[in-house]
Amino acid sequence: MTQFTRRQLLGAGLGTAALGMLAGCATPGTASVNGGPVIAPVASGEKITLKYWSWLKDLQKVADIWNESHPNVQVETVWIPGGNSGGYQKIFSALATQGGPDLAQVEMRSIPEFMLVNGLVDLTRYGAQETAHLYDPTLWSQVSYTGGVYGIPQDSGPMGMFYQPAVLEKVGATPPATWNEWGEVAGELRKTDAYMDCFPLGDASVFAAFATQAGAQWFRAEEDGWVINMTDPATMQAAEFFDSAIDKDLVQTAYGAFSPGWFAAAAKGGLASVTSGSWADALIAGVSGGEGKWRVAPMPVWDGGSGFGSSYLGGSTAAVLANSKHPKEALDFAVWMTTSKEGIDAMINNSGIGWSPAPGFIGTTRQKPSPFFSGQNYNQEVFEPATLQQNPDWSWWPVTTQSLNILSDGFRKKATGTSLVETMSIAEKQIMTVFKNKGLSIRREAS
Amino acid sequence: MTTTHPSDQQQRGTTPQGNTGNRVPRRPKAQSRAPWILLAPFLALFLLTFILPILVAIASSFTKVTRKGLFGEAGVTSEFAWFSNYAQALSDGNFVASIGRMFLFGIVQVPVMIILCTVLALMLESTSARWPGFFRAAYFLPYGVPGVIATILWSFLYVPGLSPLIDIAGMFGLEPDFLGPNTVLWSIANIVLWSYAGYNMLIIVAQLKTIPVELYEAARVDGATTWRIARSIQLPLIKPALVLTTVFSIIGTLQLFAEAQVLKTVAPSIDSQYTPNLSAYSTAFAYNDYNVAAAQAVLIAAVALILSFAFLKFSNRKSS
Repeated sequence: MTQFTRRQLLGAGLGTAALGMLAGCATPGTASVNGGPVIAPVASGEKITLKYWSWLKDLQKVADIWNESHPNVQVETVWIPGGNSGGYQKIFSALATQGGPDLAQVEMRSIPEFMLVNGLVDLTRYGAQETAHLYDPTLWSQVSYTGGVYGIPQDSGPMGMFYQPAVLEKVGATPPATWNEWGEVAGELRKTDAYMDCFPLGDASVFAAFATQAGAQWFRAEEDGWVINMTDPATMQAAEFFDSAIDKDLVQTAYGAFSPGWFAAAAKGGLASVTSGSWADALIAGVSGGEGKWRVAPMPVWDGGSGFGSSYLGGSTAAVLANSKHPKEALDFAVWMTTSKEGIDAMINNSGIGWSPAPGFIGTTRQKPSPFFSGQNYNQEVFEPATLQQNPDWSWWPVTTQSLNILSDGFRKKATGTSLVETMSIAEKQIMTVFKNKGLSIRREAS
Repeated sequence: MTTTHPSDQQQRGTTPQGNTGNRVPRRPKAQSRAPWILLAPFLALFLLTFILPILVAIASSFTKVTRKGLFGEAGVTSEFAWFSNYAQALSDGNFVASIGRMFLFGIVQVPVMIILCTVLALMLESTSARWPGFFRAAYFLPYGVPGVIATILWSFLYVPGLSPLIDIAGMFGLEPDFLGPNTVLWSIANIVLWSYAGYNMLIIVAQLKTIPVELYEAARVDGATTWRIARSIQLPLIKPALVLTTVFSIIGTLQLFAEAQVLKTVAPSIDSQYTPNLSAYSTAFAYNDYNVAAAQAVLIAAVALILSFAFLKFSNRKSS
């Protein structure tokens, strides 16, 4: 072994460091797989294992059903924390190091963000269009961008209003049909020390869903770049409504829905209702002593006849990640899981997924009345019709998380006097800056 | 522990170093190779996991990625960007606000922490203390609870509807809001205080134990009260430990992350850029802006360096 002088060692160290810096200088996610050659399916007889990162619980049990009938394409699931609470961070860092699983759970709203770092495979290259007719058209349009398809919808959340009839009866009310009526009931409820619902200042995605219902379309992809309009009449109607609701103390803003504080208040009858996605049923089942105390009604609609009957809140996809070596097989599994009866039932029973994105089959258990919800057959009564009353034009954009955070940061200033209406136009400018910082072209909708 | 006193170090440093040159004029090859071989595993890991990431982060903070088209499908360019990422980080109101919040936190938290752990240590080491071993363990115990778990535990005491504290306050007609926009920072400070006061106390206790018994005896013969002993003997002699715990607390303040991140789930007023570290984390892994995140991280490190050195300089000057 040769002797190293201190200087040689230092030199070697700096050399390695410089090499690393060169490698590090290539900022992750700057090369696209969708320009490369299509990866052929494996030859029959060859055995492969696909990895699926997801935060659905017991998803392996669903994969096991597939594994039994597909001995050569085995699917292994790995649990990750939900979305931005750590899961995406994990996926993004895996992608940044040229790794990651074949499939990952990606929310509808995050698809464009993953596209921006070249993290997703365009599934039209592997025949996804042939399965388009199996999916809800609104959801399919939320995974389709610039002629490609970047994720297979696996669950969603058409919105409805979950309510406690006993609490509403205290003020002689029934579920309100419009938001104005909702405001009146909320006012009556305040006299009994109960709230109608929460308004989450810290999570703007709920407000985005209300604006979507009113008919908003914040972003549009055009040939020359993105077109933004966050101050259209529909959004302003929703913002003004909740501005006034917060000013009159009609909504609880100290905590958000399904937080520990919410569960405590809901169990004591301090909250009359929660307008949320269909997946809220599983969460409401966790309210202590809640059995038989809850029912479901359609979401209130916006006054003035504009807008839609419902909206989608949340919803995720099974997306094929850029570094997958077997995108065709991964797509096949995703389609089986989300459209076959056994796949959908297994996902409902084991993983408790939200609404199935395949309109043909809502799931065996969801066709029956629910004992928890006072024997109401709410899935067929409320949510199945809700899926047909959606805003088809809503599209997500490449900096959704940051945009929603910008909005939430603005909403938090409501306490110090900045109205939601003002926040919308401030946020619009900030979001345009975010686009420009990334070099993406964006312009304000000409009004 | 005692050698951490900076002026001590300087004095001792002069004599042995002067000797080494004369005593060992030329070592056999094997002997001079040995330390490097023994150090190699450490050096390799140190370079790979410490120095290299720092260099990569600094390089990354000077790079800018520009995408064209709707999703960058029309081309992506990376270029050297001078300080534009730093400019972008510093023009981000939320990041600047998080630094301001951190300063506010530090200005209140560090003195409270130091005073509390000093008082605890002095009380435990006073002659009239009962069961000092038990209390020492009891105060130290929270340090064994990981920050995430500690925050979850405390969050149950902060959330309205669950918290017995709020219920008790309600009996006296008070409605404390631990998670409000103006109070949540102090709720975090309380968690940090609970977690680390015992640890810092132990450092001070260790230093107190090194004070020779004769000093106490002499003081008592001279008729010094407990208060006088604390002021004139104990406090001056535990100064190195106080300096150390203060630097720990300053660095801890800059690294504030887990408490805010966990408490975010119950406190709507904590945003995704509440502390500088949380801001860098969100920017990198939620917004995928690694370059700006690197710039933020470098800025945080620079502030930590400046504050720690400024404090050490300040405490050195006062002692000389």
